[in-house]
Parts: sequence; structure tokens; C-alpha cells
Amino acid sequence: MISDIIVIIRDYWLLLLIGQYPNGPLGGLAATLILSILAIAFAFPVSIALALARLSKSPFLNWPVTALVYFTRGVPLLMLILWGYFLVPLATGANVPSFLTMLVTLVVYQGAFLSEVVRGGIVALGHGQMEAARALGHSYLGAMRYVILPQALYNVIPSIISVFVSTIKDTTLGYVINVPDLTFAASQINNQLLTQPFQVFFILAAVYYVICWSLTRVAVATESRITRKRAGMVPLPTAKSLKLAALTDQPS
Amino acid sequence: MNTIAPSKNTPMIELKGVCKSYGLYEVLKGIDAEVARGEVVVICGPSGSGKSTLIRTVNRLEEIGSGSISCDGNNIHRPMPAQELNRLRSRIGFVFQSFNLFPHLSAIDNIAMSPIRVKGVSRDAAYAKATQLLERVGLTDKANAYPGQLSGGQQQRVAIARALAMEPPVMLFDEPTSALDPEMVGEVLSVMKGLAADGMTMMCVTHEMGFARDVADRVWFIDQGQIVESAPPEEFFSRPQTTRAQRFLSELRH
Repeated sequence: MISDIIVIIRDYWLLLLIGQYPNGPLGGLAATLILSILAIAFAFPVSIALALARLSKSPFLNWPVTALVYFTRGVPLLMLILWGYFLVPLATGANVPSFLTMLVTLVVYQGAFLSEVVRGGIVALGHGQMEAARALGHSYLGAMRYVILPQALYNVIPSIISVFVSTIKDTTLGYVINVPDLTFAASQINNQLLTQPFQVFFILAAVYYVICWSLTRVAVATESRITRKRAGMVPLPTAKSLKLAALTDQPS
Repeated sequence: MNTIAPSKNTPMIELKGVCKSYGLYEVLKGIDAEVARGEVVVICGPSGSGKSTLIRTVNRLEEIGSGSISCDGNNIHRPMPAQELNRLRSRIGFVFQSFNLFPHLSAIDNIAMSPIRVKGVSRDAAYAKATQLLERVGLTDKANAYPGQLSGGQQQRVAIARALAMEPPVMLFDEPTSALDPEMVGEVLSVMKGLAADGMTMMCVTHEMGFARDVADRVWFIDQGQIVESAPPEEFFSRPQTTRAQRFLSELRH
């Protein structure tokens, strides 16, 4: 069993790593990582913008974004991906690469989910901080940037990381519209071997696990660095107390 | 900007017919009052009388239903662009009952941040000023402490320094010592006394009648959304004119 896996990796490592490249598009792990990083990098600022829009008193900002968030939460991601894949070329006549379709869909979908996390963090902070900032003469957006968001985002780091991790895992769905990612490569290998699906997909699972686990570690390290910096708010973290502290601690 | 040049004779704060209601409940029922330049006014009254609401309308943390409030010659409640309101607000210091320090910033960063971000003061100048202010409130050694590491009294003193950093000509205090342990009230009051002695115009909602007696030029007694009495402290405390004020003062003595 183990030897089968080693043989598969030995024979197909390049395909798993970069897909058909340079004879075809860049794929495999490289494509998965690029797609994940881009999706997270765009979804994060998008989510802050969406959260601010949902908190806005202006119906022109509030209503469309609220509708978008409800729609996105109520529809499976796979449905959005298939719609994007089939409808956008139909509607625009443009030939949109599947990688781009996947990226945009992920950004919208995870951005909407993340915006609720960010909004929750902002609302949980209470009025006092915003009032103090406004009383000093800060504009609404200035108060958000320098006072509210640094606290709100810090408080919801655990939930943000959950969304990031699920973004990485959701890149696998690109497989259905032929995004040549790691899952696509693994599936090609499985189609060639035919007899070893468990071994092939075990490799796939292990790679995803390592990526997501690494992200979690980075997040925990970031969180504890900030916590130590603001040492007055929470006791110096140990690896164990940290998760609890992040859940229960309120800024004083 | 139609800013009226402040003259020495105009009052620093002028309230004219200020009314405010929450639904059917009238919180403020036509407040007419003035605070002169350099004057210290203490606002007292039973809970629910509208004193906190009143002081929060002065920098427009609360909107009013009708009337007008001028500060340094500028009508705070007229329709105006957001930037103009921000600019006017930055010239009114406000100290909260619950301190509201920014917990993600150290004491000195709390003080220096707004001058840098709002007024565009250089970092060097802002931190030099912040250091001075920390000295003024007696917390030089706590410059790099975070709010969570400070006692309530220390936090409130940093909050006063933070408000002073914007160099406002007027300071508003909304029950600044009500959230403090008794042994910390004195350190905050003595900072406020120092401010008054330096000629700062101050409006202060407080239950500290000793402070009112020592520092205030005038006491406003508010009940049911109206200023019922306005008198110098010695007069107010020794000869309250209305039964409501008499009852309030006798209850305080218990």
C-alpha cells in the first residue's frame, strides 16, 4: 500500500506539482496554491468592503449587498461555479478561462461569508470605541481604519482562518469546470491507473491537509504575536490557552 | 467654511431651546443656557434627568429635535458636510464614563494617534506633545503600557490627555469618575482641577459634589429634561431654591 503510494509519487510527481506545464497550462499543486492565494487575497478586502456596506445606513449600499450575502449563503458553491462557467460566456460572448471563472466565483462566495464574520466582529465591539474616535474628530472611515477594524479583525481571527481554510478546500471544485488544479491532476492519474483510487486520493488528501494545517499554524503564530504585543488584554499565551482566550476575551 | 471668528465676549457654549425626544419620551424640554469662556459648569441631577444626553448633544454624539447649540461661535447642529462636523468635533474634548481608550494602542499611541491622523501633525510633534501630556496627568512611566495594564484611574487620566492632545478650547466630561473605585476618584479629579485652574472651559456631569463646591463656577441642576436651577455652588448647596433640588441634595447627604 505504502509502496504503491511511493511509486505513484515517483512516477507522477511532476504532474502533481505543475500539471501539463510547459506543454499545457500550469496546473497541479502550483495552480491550487496560486488559486488559493489569489482567492484569499481578493476575498479578504472584498469582505471588509461588503461588511462596511452592510453596516451602512445608505439603502443603495445596504440592500444590494444584503441581497448578495443572502443569495450566496443560500446557494451551493457548485451551482455558482456552473452558472459562471456556462452563463458568463453565453451572456458576454467572451471566452473566459475556467481558472478566472473559478477565482471570481470563489472571491464572491467566500467574500460574502467572510463579510459576515467581519461584520460580527465590528458589531461585537460595541458603540464606545466608535464614539470615542468620532469625538476626537475622526471620520467614520478613519475610525474604522485606525480604531475599529484593528480590534474587530483581531477578535475574529479564528473565524477568518476557518473561511480561509474552506476557501483552499473549495478550490477542488474547480475540477468540475476543468481548472487544471491538484485535484484535476490526481484525477488524471487515477484515470490512467484505474486500479488504485484509494492510493491516489490519499496523496491528494495528505497534500490538502498539510496546506490547510500550515495556514492554521501561521494564523496561531500571528495571533499570539499580536496578543503578546497587547499583553495587557490577555495573559501571555501558551499554545493551549490561546484558542480559549481568543474566544472569550473582550477588549477592556 | 462660514466659521465665525470667536470673540472674547461670545459665550463658549450657547444652548437655545434644545429639545430632544426618544419616541414619545421627551428627554430635553427646551434647554436655554450659556457657558462663558473659562467657566467651569457642573451639571447634576437625578438619574434619568437628561444630563448625560444634554452633554452628548454638545458635540453631537446625540442629535437634537429642535433648537441650536453653538460652540465657539459655530452652530454644531446645523446641516453641514461630514468633514466640517469632524473638524468642529475635534475642537471639543470629550471624556467618557467608561474611558473608551483604544485597547490595541499603548497609552502614548492613544494620545498621539488622533493629532497625527485627524490634524496631520507630524509624528515627532505629536509624540513630543503626548509625552508632555502624560507628564501633566502624572503618567510618564506608563507611556508604553496598554490600557489593559492600567488601573481605572490611570486609564481615565490617559483619556483626558488624549482629549487634550487635540488642543480643544472646551472639555466635556460625562461622569468621568462614576466607573472608578473610590480610591481612584481623587487622582482624576485633581487632573481636572488642574485643567480648571489653567482656564479651560469645562462642562462636567458628575455626582462629586465636593468637586462642584471647589472647582465649579456654576452648578446646573437638571430634572425631567429642564435646567431647574443654575447658581454658583455655594448658593446652590446652601440655599437651593426649588423643592426638587432640596430633595436631591438631601438624598445625596444620606
